[in-house]
Amino acid sequence: MKLPIAWLRDYVDISLSSDEIAERLALLGFPVDAIERRPKLSGIVAGRLVKVEKHPNADRLSICTVGVAAGKPLTIVTAATNVAEGQTVPVATIGAKLVNLDIAPRAMRGVDSEGMLVSADEIGLEGAWFEDGILQLEPTVPPGTDFVKAYRLDDDVLDVEVTSNRVDAMSVVGLARELAAALGSVVRGPDTEVALTQGASQATTPDTSVTLESADCRRFVAQRFSNLTVRPSPFSMRLRLALAGQRPIDNLVDISNFVMLEIGQPLHFYDFDKLAERRLVVRDARPGEKMTTLDGEERTLDPSFLVIADGERAQCIAGLRGARDSEVSASTRELLLEAASFSGPRIRRMSLALGVRTDASTRHEKTLPLALGSLGASRAAHLLQREGATVAMPFAVGAPIEPPAPIRVSAQDAHRLLGMLVTGDEIQLALTGLGFSLERDGETFVATPPEWRNDLRIREDVIEEIGRVAGYDRIASAIPPVFDQAVSSAAYDGERRIARALAGVGYREAVTFALQPASVRETYERAGIPLPGEVVEVTNPLSEDQRYLRFSLLPALLGLVRRYEGDMPYRGFEIGHIFFGAPDPLETAAVAWVCAIRKVPDEPAWRDDGFLAFKSDSLAFARMLAGTDAVTVATRHGEFHPGKTASLSIHDEDVATIGAIDPRLLAAYGIQSAAYAGVMRLADLPAYRVPRFAERSKYPPVERDLALVVAPEIAAMDIESAVRAGADGVVASVRVFDEYRGPQVEAGKKSIAVRILLQRRDATLTDAEADGYIAAISASLQERCGAVLRS
Amino acid sequence: MRAFEFPDVEEDEIGRLGDDLSALGERFEAALASVDDGDALDALRLTFLGRNGEITALRRSIGTLPAAERPEAGKTINEAVARLEAQLERASSALTNRELAAQLDVAIDVTFPAPPARTGSIHPLRRTLEDACDYFQRRGFAVVLGDEIETEYYNFDALNIPADHPAREGFDTFYLANGKLLRPHTSPTQIRTMQQHPPPIAIVNPGKAYRRDAVDARHSYMFSQIEGLLVAPGIHLGHLKGMLTGLCRELFGPNQAVRFRPSFFPFTEPSAEVDTTCPGCGGSGKRGDAGCKTCGGSGWIEIGGSGMVHPDVLRECNYDPERVSGWAFGLGVERIAMVRYDVDDLRVFFENDPAVLAQLA
Repeated sequence: MKLPIAWLRDYVDISLSSDEIAERLALLGFPVDAIERRPKLSGIVAGRLVKVEKHPNADRLSICTVGVAAGKPLTIVTAATNVAEGQTVPVATIGAKLVNLDIAPRAMRGVDSEGMLVSADEIGLEGAWFEDGILQLEPTVPPGTDFVKAYRLDDDVLDVEVTSNRVDAMSVVGLARELAAALGSVVRGPDTEVALTQGASQATTPDTSVTLESADCRRFVAQRFSNLTVRPSPFSMRLRLALAGQRPIDNLVDISNFVMLEIGQPLHFYDFDKLAERRLVVRDARPGEKMTTLDGEERTLDPSFLVIADGERAQCIAGLRGARDSEVSASTRELLLEAASFSGPRIRRMSLALGVRTDASTRHEKTLPLALGSLGASRAAHLLQREGATVAMPFAVGAPIEPPAPIRVSAQDAHRLLGMLVTGDEIQLALTGLGFSLERDGETFVATPPEWRNDLRIREDVIEEIGRVAGYDRIASAIPPVFDQAVSSAAYDGERRIARALAGVGYREAVTFALQPASVRETYERAGIPLPGEVVEVTNPLSEDQRYLRFSLLPALLGLVRRYEGDMPYRGFEIGHIFFGAPDPLETAAVAWVCAIRKVPDEPAWRDDGFLAFKSDSLAFARMLAGTDAVTVATRHGEFHPGKTASLSIHDEDVATIGAIDPRLLAAYGIQSAAYAGVMRLADLPAYRVPRFAERSKYPPVERDLALVVAPEIAAMDIESAVRAGADGVVASVRVFDEYRGPQVEAGKKSIAVRILLQRRDATLTDAEADGYIAAISASLQERCGAVLRS
Repeated sequence: MRAFEFPDVEEDEIGRLGDDLSALGERFEAALASVDDGDALDALRLTFLGRNGEITALRRSIGTLPAAERPEAGKTINEAVARLEAQLERASSALTNRELAAQLDVAIDVTFPAPPARTGSIHPLRRTLEDACDYFQRRGFAVVLGDEIETEYYNFDALNIPADHPAREGFDTFYLANGKLLRPHTSPTQIRTMQQHPPPIAIVNPGKAYRRDAVDARHSYMFSQIEGLLVAPGIHLGHLKGMLTGLCRELFGPNQAVRFRPSFFPFTEPSAEVDTTCPGCGGSGKRGDAGCKTCGGSGWIEIGGSGMVHPDVLRECNYDPERVSGWAFGLGVERIAMVRYDVDDLRVFFENDPAVLAQLA
């Protein structure tokens, strides 16, 4: 809310600068979002228009004789048309500084003008909100009064944030009280004195009544005012409203806004003469009930809306908007005031349904303390009486104002929670300043919160008040002890290991958005790629781009491949949650890593070196995770090429799947390069097992290469295991290192080269022994793989 | 027919051997003088000292000497060989030194661009998150993760935000068809952990959260939080200030201070906003002559909210608020990362441009 410091000073004496006030408010829990600096003005005084004459040489100009002080009156020429004798107006004297204007002596059509009469724009106020012409001051202001000082025009305006629990502080008085408590000074409450003229304190006066038919109106204070004269408000009130961002309208509307901004209680004024049967009833709207609001819009209501109706129809949507029918206007002579407290949640739902949020509704939706209604009514009564109204006795229906329950709190309690020492005297000062009533016994208090607060229920609430006023800056830093506990960090540590391992093999982590448009799913469907399950929809997305939860990490990574294809090779990964399934979606923490490289030109269909390079990365990654080497076995995965997919298996458990991205998916994403990906559920993350040391043989190995012809479906893994089986314990390593298919090999076969390292742990292998082992290996290859040795 | 002659050759034969050796020595020295690489040196060695070299020839001639003179002759030859070898050794080491000196006497352009190493990286948001979690782990905190789809109970009710509480409005939440929601904060993980583990408990719970915010330079509907929770006997706000001060020093530098400002959260009482010294200006509010754009000139940046866990929340988790007390805090990872990396538009973090990721790695 906007807090004009000029208005604040009505209730508390403060000698701090705007910045210091802002800092103080922030440390009390009311951060200041912005400080609106007011223009620096000087040389303006109040003047009385003694005489107003037509300019002899100009139809549009007037010559004013202006009394400004004891001395000689000033002659001032003005083009304004709203000047008349007897008015009190602000006068910029020679040398005055206004907004973008310094006043110098000036001849206007032959008449020397000794200054300028001032309008709103020239002192930095919204021109359209004030008189069309010269500002009109209260006639009680003595001529010669320093205008800037008297009206505190050089005070800035703070934009203060008030937390939702402190509706009482969404007001100038509320914030004044906070500052006074913190500064150890006294807050002056607003004047509520009024001379009552008729009626008695009861729910029904002879000529009107208020009936509550819904419990969502907790309390309703009503008061009648008559003999009203509608006219502009005094300048001091208009100025305060304008500085607070509220456009001045007329004295009735202004008073209702003024009271709301001043003490936090929204009011509603009904033109009493326009109320059918001259009574009000608070009830649920009838189905289809119509009401035309102040803004001229016809609203169709339903029973979810709480309305205040007269004998016939709704005259106000509670807390939100009045009806045009009973709006106060220039012809209003009698009004009925409403100062109510409604159920906040109900008002908030109505506000959302209606799409209307007002200064009043933001207060009502926080459920106003009951006591504020009576305070608001009596303040309005005082101000209306000042405007000449006849004031009837207020009456209230609904819940009585119950004093808040007392709370026991001690200095030790405060110390236990805040970790700072606060004395009993400090507690007494702080709580008294905030309006608590206290019973003190040494360092222990029974504290009764003020009736305008509805956020203080328990001891901890009061401790916060003590801490706020004493100052959180007094909390001393301490390091807590380490406690023995059973909570595990395993999931986090796993993510951390994965991220570091993938970064270690050269992949860059990405963080992409988890909500996606329908087009992602549609792309998969069009490309013939199966979805893992029902795609999960958000029921209230902000935009269609964010309607669905991601069912896979790959679409976003493929999007990055597409976008950064120029920076080849692209290696990226993401760790995140994926979602699918209905009605209860399955949430899976997962990781995907992607590599995109240039396609190898003229590569035969039966080989894919890119896949091997990617597999090599993936094996290195898996090794880092598990401390042991993974085994690859052909498998299938929806997003991968059916013939280029493998599972990574560690300790006989499949932990991840790697493969070439399905070419249909690449085409759908417009990706030109060859792209490969691995996917793993974090739940499948293998435990790291510390590798065991195996001593290397001291005896030299014998290396033999074999060239084999086998059927194409024989995998390298089959050959390697056949080799090991042929000379168990002697094969130190075996590696298929070349594959060939083509005219040099008989049709329907492939040629494989394998390098075998034979080594004994107990002696040097002789050539004859090696030959024997190779013969056994060849037999094993023949038997298990149908392999024929090439000469 | 020498074999049949028996001249008195004693002096002569030895003398001739000496002459031969000194002539050989002269020839050797002459040849050595012209040697200027290792190969020539090896050739020289072979010529004189090799199996078929001149010395070998002289040694064979010893056999023609009377047996009594042979030791003397052998000794003479051995001495000559030692001299030659010493000379060869000196020449060899001179050559080596010359070659090493020649190797030293070159310079490359060390500023010539190197081919890029293949490097990967973790994302700056994760790095920030890990730095924070590491700090807490070193001080005995466990790190707990949680699901992003949550129930209203864990997300709101258990956190003292009943339906229709105005504070729910601050959490503009995405809902799913089954009535569950995308968590707008990571706090449900704290409730779940407390309900599974009795006190004492010391955790941080980082993770993603979602709120219905349009994406712009300072907002994103998906963001990361780090929350912390410590509940044990005797825990107070001073312990929070101490830990957060340490954390800010870990994240931003050794001179960070932490300031608490009172605030309101339904799940803590008392509550505090957490500010730390603006690392952009060191708290002065100024950068050069201009106001600091990181903190808007205040000298402080707000990094999150905190407070003492509300007794209602403790009770909901079967913790006794008369026996234990504790604090919780929540920090925005993107905000912290923006300040650390001097990024003024958080969308940078979600674009994942490899060049930027490399720059921030």
